[in-house]
Amino acid sequence: MGYTIAEKILGQHANGQPAKAGDIVVAAVDFAMMHDARAGNALQMIEKLKTGNANIQLPYVKQTALVLDHYSPPPTIEAANTHVAMRAFADHHGAHLYDVGDGICHQVLPEGGHLTSGDLVVGTDTHSTTYGAFNAFGTGVEGTDVAAVMMTGRLWFRVPETIRIELNGPLQAGVWAKDVTLHMLGRLGAEGANYQALEYCGSGVSAMAIDDRMTLANHAAELGAKAALLESDDKTVAWLKAHGAATPRPVFADSDASYSQRIVIDSAALAPQVARQHRVDDVVSVTEVVGQKIQVALIGTCTNGRLDDIRQAAAILKGQRLARGVRMIVTPASRAIYLAAMKEGLFEILTAAGASVEAAGCGTCVNITGHYISGDDQVVISTANRNFKGRLGNPQSQIWLGSAATVAASALTGIITDARTVAGGNWRAAA
Amino acid sequence: MRVLLPVATGALRPRGGRMSLNIELIRGSARILGDEVSTDIHCSSKYLPGKDTAYIALHAFEQIAPGFANAFQTGDIIVAGANFGINSSREQAIHVMQKMGVAAIVAPSFGRQFFRNAINNGLPVIECDVDGIASGDAVSVDLTMGCVKVAARQIKRQTTPLPPAILSLLSAGGLIPYLQQYPKWQ
Ligand code: SF4
Repeated sequence: MGYTIAEKILGQHANGQPAKAGDIVVAAVDFAMMHDARAGNALQMIEKLKTGNANIQLPYVKQTALVLDHYSPPPTIEAANTHVAMRAFADHHGAHLYDVGDGICHQVLPEGGHLTSGDLVVGTDTHSTTYGAFNAFGTGVEGTDVAAVMMTGRLWFRVPETIRIELNGPLQAGVWAKDVTLHMLGRLGAEGANYQALEYCGSGVSAMAIDDRMTLANHAAELGAKAALLESDDKTVAWLKAHGAATPRPVFADSDASYSQRIVIDSAALAPQVARQHRVDDVVSVTEVVGQKIQVALIGTCTNGRLDDIRQAAAILKGQRLARGVRMIVTPASRAIYLAAMKEGLFEILTAAGASVEAAGCGTCVNITGHYISGDDQVVISTANRNFKGRLGNPQSQIWLGSAATVAASALTGIITDARTVAGGNWRAAA
Repeated sequence: MRVLLPVATGALRPRGGRMSLNIELIRGSARILGDEVSTDIHCSSKYLPGKDTAYIALHAFEQIAPGFANAFQTGDIIVAGANFGINSSREQAIHVMQKMGVAAIVAPSFGRQFFRNAINNGLPVIECDVDGIASGDAVSVDLTMGCVKVAARQIKRQTTPLPPAILSLLSAGGLIPYLQQYPKWQ
C-alpha cells in the first residue's frame, strides 16, 4: 500500500517509516518560525517552561527564526516593545532574526535557505503552508509549539488525509496560480480542506515558475489545509541551491497512495478568477464582474508580493497612468524582492504610473500598521489572501481578491478588468 | 536519531507524578453552542485587543449565546456543533475557556488549530455526534474509551478514542507541563 507526501515526510521525521493518515506522531522538526504578531505568546510560553523547571535548556533555538513583519514598522509602543524583546531573545539565544523591512516570514524563510525539499517546518502562522512549494511539509502552530521545538526539536502531529489536485495543462498567459487557488476556494469552500493536506501535481504545476508555486501552496491556508505539497523538480532544486538551502531530499507520493479526494482541473482553460467582497469563497470568473468600479489597488502580501507579480504589474502599467481616482500601493514581500525590482527598473515604471511603493512586510494585507484604510463604500482590489469585512480597517468598504494581473489591469482602467484584454496583460514569467 | 513514534511504543504514557486532570471520566452539565463557532471572534483577544483573559471569560460567546458565560459553572461541558473553533488560531481562546471552568468540549468536528491548541493547553476535546443532547443534560465523557453518554436520554456514543500520546499530554495538563516532566518526550 502506498503513501502520500504528507505521510512520508511526517513518518520519516518520526521513526523513519511512512506514517498513515490519522496516526499521531512525535516528529523531529527541521525549522521553526515565530513572527511578531504571535511572539508575545511564544516568549511567554518559553518563560513558563523555565519557571516550572529551571534546568530547561533551548538547544534547538538555532533552528528557529524570529521575524518582524506584521508590525512593520511598529504602529504602537506595545508593538515596538515586542520587537525589542524579540531582538533581545534572538541575540541572547542565537536564533535567526529578520528585522523590520526584511520581509514577510513566508518569503524570508525560503530566501534565507532555511528549508529544503523533504523538510518539516512549522511557523506561528496559518500560511506556513507556503513551504510546501519546495516539497517541505510546512504547517501553522502556536507559541506553545514553538517553545516545545526550541526545547526538544520535536513536536506532535496528527498525520492528515490528503486531497490530490491535478492541474491539467499550463495556464494561459494572463492567468496565474492565484486564479487556480481562487477557483479551488469557489469549488471546495473556505475551510473545505480543514484538517487535510493538499497535493498539487500535473503539467500545470510543472509549467509554473517558483513564485507562482509559492502562491499555490500559500493560499491553501484559506481552504483550511494543514499543508500543501508540491513535487520537487529541477526548478525547485535549482532555486533552493541558489538560495543556499541544504541538499534537497525530494519526496514523491506513491502511485497507489490513498487520497480522501482526487480533483482534476482543466487548468489550461481556466480564466482569471475574482473573490467578491467579504468571502474568500464567493468566487466568480473575472468576465462576470468586468465593469465593477474600484478605487484602491493593492499588490503585496505573502500570497502575491513576489517579483513576478511586480513584473506583471509593471508590464501592464508601463508608460501608462492609473485611472483617475485610483490609489495603488505595491508592497514587495521581501527586501530581496524589493532590491531586485528596483534593479529591474520596475519601481520607476510603477511610480511614474501613479503607484506608491512601500517597504517590504505584511503591509497591505491587514490594517495592522494603520495606513491602508479606505473610505466608506470604496472598493479595494487586492492580491491578498483574505477579504473579510473590515480587514483593512473599514467594515464599510469592500475588498475583492485577484491576481497581480487583475489588480494592475483594474488599476489602469478603474473597473475590474480581464488582464488578457489590456496591453502587457499576457506577460509571462520565464518558467 | 531524533525519532520517536509514541503510539507504537507507548512511550508517552503517563508514569505517575502530578496528574492535574482525571482523564478517565469527566462528568458535567451540557452547555450548548451552535455550528461553525470561531472562538477567535467570541473567545480570544484577537478581535478584542486590550481585553484580558478574565474580562473575556465574563463575556465569552455573548453575541451568539446571550448569557452563556454568566450561566456557566465550573465543570460544565461545552457541547457544540460542527467545526467548533474554525478559523481560530489563538491559544488565548483556550485560556479563556479554562478560566470559565470548561471541563471538556464535545463537538462533531473542530477547527484544526483550535484542536491542537486545546490539547497543548490541557483542555479535553472529543469529536462526537452531539445530536439529541440538550442544555443542562448530565454528560459523561470517557476519554480513554472514547465514549460520550447522557444516561437520562439513553444516549451512548462510541467514538475513536484519543491515542495514548494525546491522553498523556492532557493528563499532564498540557504540552508545557508535560515537557517539564518529560523533557525528552518520554
Ligand atoms: S502577509 Fe498577511 S497573511 Fe501573510 S503572513 Fe503577513 S499578515 Fe499573514
